[in-house]
Amino acid sequence: MDLFIQSLVLGILLGGLYALLAAGLTLYFGVMRVVMIAHSAFLILAAYLAWWFTTNTGLDPLLSLVVTVPLFFVVGVFVQRVLIARLKPATLTMMSVLLTFAIALTIEGLLGFVFSGTQRRIQLPYSGASFEVFGARIAVVKLIAFALAAVALAALYFVLKATRFGQSLRATIQNSEAAALVGIDTKKVAGYGFGIGLATAAVGGTALALDATIYPSLHWHWIGPLMAIIVVGGLGSVPGAAAAAMVLGVSQSLLQIPMGTTWAQTIFYIVLFATLVFRPHGFFGGRLAQRF
Amino acid sequence: MITSTRTTRSIRSWVAVMAAGGLLTLAGCGIDDPSEPGDADAGSDSTGGGGADEEAIQIGISLPLTGDFSEPGKGVQRGYEAWASYVNDNGGLLGRDVELTILDDQSNADRVASDYEKLINQDGVDLVFGPFSTRLVVPAAQVALDYGFLFVEPAGAAEDVFTQGFTNLFYAAPAVAQDHYNYLADYIEAMPEAERPQTAAYAAMDDPFAQGTAYGLKERLEAMGVETVVDEVYPPNTTDFSSIAAKIESSDADILVGGSQYQDAVNLIIALQQLGYQPDLAAFSTAPTNPEFAAAIGDKTEGILSPTGYTPEATYPTNAEFVEYFNAEHGSEPTEDEANAWTTGQVVAAAVEGVGCADPTPECQGQLIDWLRNNEVDTVVGPLTWDAEGRPQGAHLIQQYVDGEITIVLPDDAKEADFIYPKPEW
Repeated sequence: MDLFIQSLVLGILLGGLYALLAAGLTLYFGVMRVVMIAHSAFLILAAYLAWWFTTNTGLDPLLSLVVTVPLFFVVGVFVQRVLIARLKPATLTMMSVLLTFAIALTIEGLLGFVFSGTQRRIQLPYSGASFEVFGARIAVVKLIAFALAAVALAALYFVLKATRFGQSLRATIQNSEAAALVGIDTKKVAGYGFGIGLATAAVGGTALALDATIYPSLHWHWIGPLMAIIVVGGLGSVPGAAAAAMVLGVSQSLLQIPMGTTWAQTIFYIVLFATLVFRPHGFFGGRLAQRF
Repeated sequence: MITSTRTTRSIRSWVAVMAAGGLLTLAGCGIDDPSEPGDADAGSDSTGGGGADEEAIQIGISLPLTGDFSEPGKGVQRGYEAWASYVNDNGGLLGRDVELTILDDQSNADRVASDYEKLINQDGVDLVFGPFSTRLVVPAAQVALDYGFLFVEPAGAAEDVFTQGFTNLFYAAPAVAQDHYNYLADYIEAMPEAERPQTAAYAAMDDPFAQGTAYGLKERLEAMGVETVVDEVYPPNTTDFSSIAAKIESSDADILVGGSQYQDAVNLIIALQQLGYQPDLAAFSTAPTNPEFAAAIGDKTEGILSPTGYTPEATYPTNAEFVEYFNAEHGSEPTEDEANAWTTGQVVAAAVEGVGCADPTPECQGQLIDWLRNNEVDTVVGPLTWDAEGRPQGAHLIQQYVDGEITIVLPDDAKEADFIYPKPEW
């Protein structure tokens, strides 16, 4: 089959997963100016819960979402109300890096303690299954992960665009002081925004677990590329994160053909560097990031 | 003056308290010093026997118990602990128990160096054993060399290990990485030319051991005319193998050689399965011998092969005893990682018994090194001797999944089943 077409399809599927994994990360910053280093640790936690669920029940890991999505939402609200809200506004962004770094280390330690450092992988009847479309082969697990990403991002978009809470959230993202002046409870919005961010981590972690080997320290591998995606997309912009994720996923996959794996992985950082030099607020960030 | 006297009294009182505290601490050290190696407080794990603690031979080890190499790292840990417990059950070494202090380097090369610094400098161990993987062995061996310690290691097989002037290093396995696939290369070379594979794809982790195994075979195959159509090197932290798999699938290579550890081999195989690629031969270094391998790739293992330096069925003098002891302890037969760790113990023990000392002094460590340079050691992987750089002078067996079991297929005089070629579909 044509390597270019195959790589393009793989890049699109990978981009979808990246978009899902990065969505929550940009939301935290958009609503609260919080740099959430622990987002990828929560992803790995969700992946472990999916693995644990399947290993112990024999059921499909997707069913674990019924529990993990609301659970992560509640944990997100809790983390925001109990920990993040205590940080002083003047140093919020800087201190959030340190605080969430500590949360990430704590989650990694707990995962190591509970599940050990052994690498885990969910073995499903359809793990190696695939089908062919127009000469390109599509793995079932990758398509499921992509579909999960599409559904979660569509739901997030719907919540942001079509609900009253979404309007409040967007207003808070655009100008939290003005939003407070018109009567929006920005503290409540911040808590729910954080909860939604972690709920996307539950979906993302489960999608990740479908086709990856997981271990407690894996989150360090992810946080760099995810940060690059939200910076390139524009801090606080969910559509920006999705677009950047797709561009970077496809670029990485296509560049792998001539450049090899090692160099193709540097695309994130090359694009990040170029973005910071020529468009520091990202492609969709607008004035929000400039204020930061 | 009054103030001065009070101050003097106060100082005297503090000195008295500190002195009393110090004496109590010293007395405590004599009974059970918590800073001694092997103490759980030091973040270590110990395996001691029934002998008195102060007489135990302290052995320091750093292993990748978490991170990229955690699977094989824990195998090596099981092997070391089984060996220590076996030695203690059988009268110890020089009549003394052995006690292990095992630190977790998290598969990190910086961490492994500081671990051995701590073991030698702070914990004052008598001997050290090597860690797992070439990437960790090299910095660890450098620390051991700096302190003049004998350094026997179970898993640093890449050529890089033996070209850096480590005069204290000995690899406790039958062959270096470059030679692991020699029997397979011999087999392919002996095939009629029309039946030989024409093209080969190589995917190797950016790791001296993993690359060493793959490129050792690549050199041999290219010399006999097998064209290289993919030669891909990936970073150790690679998690998505779909693009590499697409390249290999697109090349339609006759055979696939993976220079791999455990996790990357599993991910690559599943990515290749997803793309429907079916090679005539699929070889992966180390991963297929891992007990978790079959479960990880969904039992589609038939025909996958791997070089190995060990088999539980080997008839070497001490092997049956090792297998029986390990089986009784763990309820399973030992793997290659566990056997190599046990072999490391056997090699060091032979030197210690040969010289009659086990302490960190330069004299004793020098004698241990000299003894190994000039003697052959019988181990569970066969009799071992080394060249001046520490390379063992032996060969690896070739194992293959046959009827769901990993089985020796090459060379002919050691085989338990016939070599399968071409490989059944996965």
